[in-house]
Amino acid sequence: MSDAPLLSIENLSLTLPPGGDRRFAVEDMTLAVNPDEIVCLVGESGSGKSMTAHAVLGLLPSGVGIASGRIRFRGDDLTALDPAALRRVRGGSIAMIFQEPLSALNPLHRVGRQIAESLEVHAGGALSSADRRARTEALLADVGLPDPPVLARSYPFQLSGGQRQRVMIAMALANDPALLLADEPTTALDVTTQRQVLDLVRKIQRERRMGVLFITHDFGVVADLADRVVVMREGRIVEEGAGRTVLRSPAHPYTRTLIEAVPGRRPAAAKPAAAGAPADPILTVEALRKTFVTRQGLFRPPRRVNAVDDVSFAVGAGETVAIVGESGSGKSTLGRIILRLADPDGGSMRFAGQEVGTLRGEGLRGYRRKVQIVFQDPFASLNPRQKVGDAIARGPMAFGTPRPEAEATARRLLGRVGLDPSSAGRFPHEFSGGQRQRIAIARALALEPRMLVADEAVSALDVSVQAQVLALLAELKREFGLTMLFITHDLRVAAEIADTILVMRRGRIVERGTPAALFSAPADPYTRELLAAVPGRDLFASGGASA
Amino acid sequence: MRDALRAFLRHPSGLIGLVILLAVVAVAILAPLLFPDSPWDMAGAPFRPPLTPDLPLGSDTLGRNIAAGIAHGARVSLTIGIASTLAALGIGVTIGILAGYFGGRVDDALMRFTELFQTIPSFVLAVVLVAILTPSIATIIGTIAIVSWPPLARLTRAEFMSLKTREFVEAARCQGESALAIVGRHILPNALSPIIVTGSLTVASAILLESALSFLGLGDPNLMSWGFMVGAARTVIRQAWWMSVFPGLAILLTVLAINLLGEGLNDALNPRIARKRG
Repeated sequence: MSDAPLLSIENLSLTLPPGGDRRFAVEDMTLAVNPDEIVCLVGESGSGKSMTAHAVLGLLPSGVGIASGRIRFRGDDLTALDPAALRRVRGGSIAMIFQEPLSALNPLHRVGRQIAESLEVHAGGALSSADRRARTEALLADVGLPDPPVLARSYPFQLSGGQRQRVMIAMALANDPALLLADEPTTALDVTTQRQVLDLVRKIQRERRMGVLFITHDFGVVADLADRVVVMREGRIVEEGAGRTVLRSPAHPYTRTLIEAVPGRRPAAAKPAAAGAPADPILTVEALRKTFVTRQGLFRPPRRVNAVDDVSFAVGAGETVAIVGESGSGKSTLGRIILRLADPDGGSMRFAGQEVGTLRGEGLRGYRRKVQIVFQDPFASLNPRQKVGDAIARGPMAFGTPRPEAEATARRLLGRVGLDPSSAGRFPHEFSGGQRQRIAIARALALEPRMLVADEAVSALDVSVQAQVLALLAELKREFGLTMLFITHDLRVAAEIADTILVMRRGRIVERGTPAALFSAPADPYTRELLAAVPGRDLFASGGASA
Repeated sequence: MRDALRAFLRHPSGLIGLVILLAVVAVAILAPLLFPDSPWDMAGAPFRPPLTPDLPLGSDTLGRNIAAGIAHGARVSLTIGIASTLAALGIGVTIGILAGYFGGRVDDALMRFTELFQTIPSFVLAVVLVAILTPSIATIIGTIAIVSWPPLARLTRAEFMSLKTREFVEAARCQGESALAIVGRHILPNALSPIIVTGSLTVASAILLESALSFLGLGDPNLMSWGFMVGAARTVIRQAWWMSVFPGLAILLTVLAINLLGEGLNDALNPRIARKRG
C-alpha cells in the first residue's frame, strides 16, 4: 500500500469538442499521487489542469471525452466504473473542493445539513441523526470554525468567504477521504484568508495522511504547500519534480516564466523616498467618511458599518499609491467615493485644487473625465453587446470628439495595450480575461485622464497574466504621466507597483509608507499579519529561486 | 445574435411554431387574393357542411363563406395582436425603464400606479373600456394595450435594477456618457432578450383577448374576426359544428404557434440553454 500510488493517471488524453483551439484538453498525461503527499498541479487558465481533476471523478463537461488512457485509484480503473460505483467513490474515498465556495454550497440549506447529507449518502443508515450531528460539529471544529453548533445552523450567505471554504473542506472530509482534489480553492479569497485555508489544508493533510492533488496558477502557493510539483502547459506536462527542486532550479523555461511572474519578487526600482506629504498633491482626501446603515427589522436597531472612517491622505502628481486591505476593509468603497460612484457622508476631497466631493451635473462629468477606473472583473466590466472599439470610442465621443477621430484613437490605444488594432470590431466574449483587462485599460485611457483608479485590476487574472498587465500599467503610467491609485488585497502586487502603500483595516488607514519600509519594518500588527500571509514568502525571501 | 439564430434553428418546437405562424401570416396577406369578395357577403346556401363545392369549410347561418371569414379574420387577429403588443411594450418598457433606472421615489410612484392596474381583473377592465369607448379596431388595440402592459413594466424594471449596478454600466458613467446613452446603449440591449420573449407571449394573449371581446359582441362591427365567428355560431353548435370549430381551431393554432415561437426564442436568447443545445 505504501509503495503503490493512491491515484495514478496513465497516458490520459481528453478530447475537446471540434472547433476549439486545440484537439486535446489534456494530452498523454501521466501523473501519480501517493498517500501522505501534496502534489501541486500548476498551469495558466486553459492549460487543462482543472479538466484533469474533473476527469478523475467523471465530472467532465459534455463534449469532453476520454480518448485514451487510464485513471487508477488504489489499482481500480475509475474510467471503467459504472455510475453507481463512481458515486460511491465521489465524496467517499475521493473528495473535491472547488474554487468558488459560494456557488458550491446550496444557498437554501443550512451548512450543517449539507455536511450531514454527505455523511448520510455514504454511511447510509449506519449513523443515527444524533451521530451525524455530533460528527458534523466535530468536522466543523476540525476545520477551525468557531462555535460549531451555532455555525452548523447558519446559511451560506451568513458566512464569510473563508468560512465557506472551510465548510467546503469539512464537507469534503466528512467521509475520511484518502484523496482530496482541490481545484484552485484559494483563488477567490484574499491574501489573509488564503493563508488560513492553505495552513488548514496542510494541517489536515498531515493529520490524516491524505493524498492531495492541489491545482493552482500561483507559484507562491506552490512554495508553501507542494511536496511535488507538476507544471502543465496547453494540455501537456512540461516539468515534474520535487517541490523545492522545481522552485529553486526550474529546468523548463515555461516554469521559469511562471515563477518569475509571482508578484513581489521583482525588486522595486529605487524610488525617491516619499517622505510625508507629497510636494504637489493632485488628490487630497480629508476626514472622509461613509457609513452603511442596514435595517434589520422593525424592533432591532439598524446595523451601522463604517466603511470609510475618517480617512485622510494625499496623492502627488505622477505618484502611484496603493491601498491594501482585506475584503471588507472599505478600500473599494473608498475608490468608488473618489470616482463619485458613491457619495461620501462627510469630509472633503480636492482634485487639482477643486473640491469634488459635492460636484453635480456638468461639473461631475468634467471631473470624471480626468479620473478613470479599471474594474476588477474584466468579464463584468465590458458590455457583452458592444464591440470593443465602440466601447473605447464612446467616452471621447461623449465629450464631443468626432466619431472617425475617436475610432482612430480606439484603434491606436488597442495597439498600445498590446492587442491587434483590427480587434476593434470584435465583441468582448472573443477575448481572454487578460485581453479584456487590456481593453478596459484602453477604454480608461481614451479620455486622457490625469488619474487612474485600478480597483483590484489584476486580482482576477492568472499570475503570469497579472505580471504582464502590471508591467503594462507601469509603462502607460510613465508614458501618459498618470497618477495612479491602486486598490488591492495583495501586498506583493502593491509592493511591485506602488511608491506609497496605505494599509486599510475596517475603514481606517492603519499604516502608510514606502514598500521598502513596510516590508522591512512593519509597525502595525495588522500589516505584519498581511505580510505573513503572503504565499511563498519564505522561499522567495531567501532569494534561492533566482533563475 | 448570429449564435442565437443558429440556436433557434436547432430548436424543434420553436421552428414548428415559426412555420405555423408564417402560414397564418401568408393566409392573412393573401386573403384579398384568395377571397376577393367581402367575407360578409352571402356565398351560397346557409348551413352548408364543409367540402361543399366553393365552400371548403362550409357556410354559416347566413350563407357566408367560413374559409373567407377565417382568412380575413387572420388579418384582424394578427393586426390587433401585434399592434396592441407594440403599444403595450411602449407603455410597459417606458415605465419599467424609468422605475428601474431612477429607483427611489420615482420607482415607488410608478409601481403603485402599476399595481393599480394589476389589481383590476384585466378582462373585466377591457370589457368596460371597450363598452365605454365604443368598439372599433383602434379602441380595441388601445384597450388590450392598457390591460397588458403591467407585466412588461415589472419585467423591464427588474432587469434594469439588476443591470444598472453592473460594472460595465458604472464604467460608462465614468466615461461621461449621458443617462440616455447608458439606458439605450448599455442597459436596454442587455435586457432585451426576456422582453422579446414576454412580448411574443403577449401577442398570443392579445389575440385571445380580442377573440373573447368579439365573442361577446364587443369586436369592431365592420371587421370579420375569429372570436365573432365563434360567438355567432355558438347557438347552433349542435346542428353545425363547423361554424365554430374552424375559427376556434384557427385561434388555437395561432396562439399555440406564437407560444412555441416564444419558447424557442427564450431558449435561443438565453445563452446557457442555447449552449447546452449547441
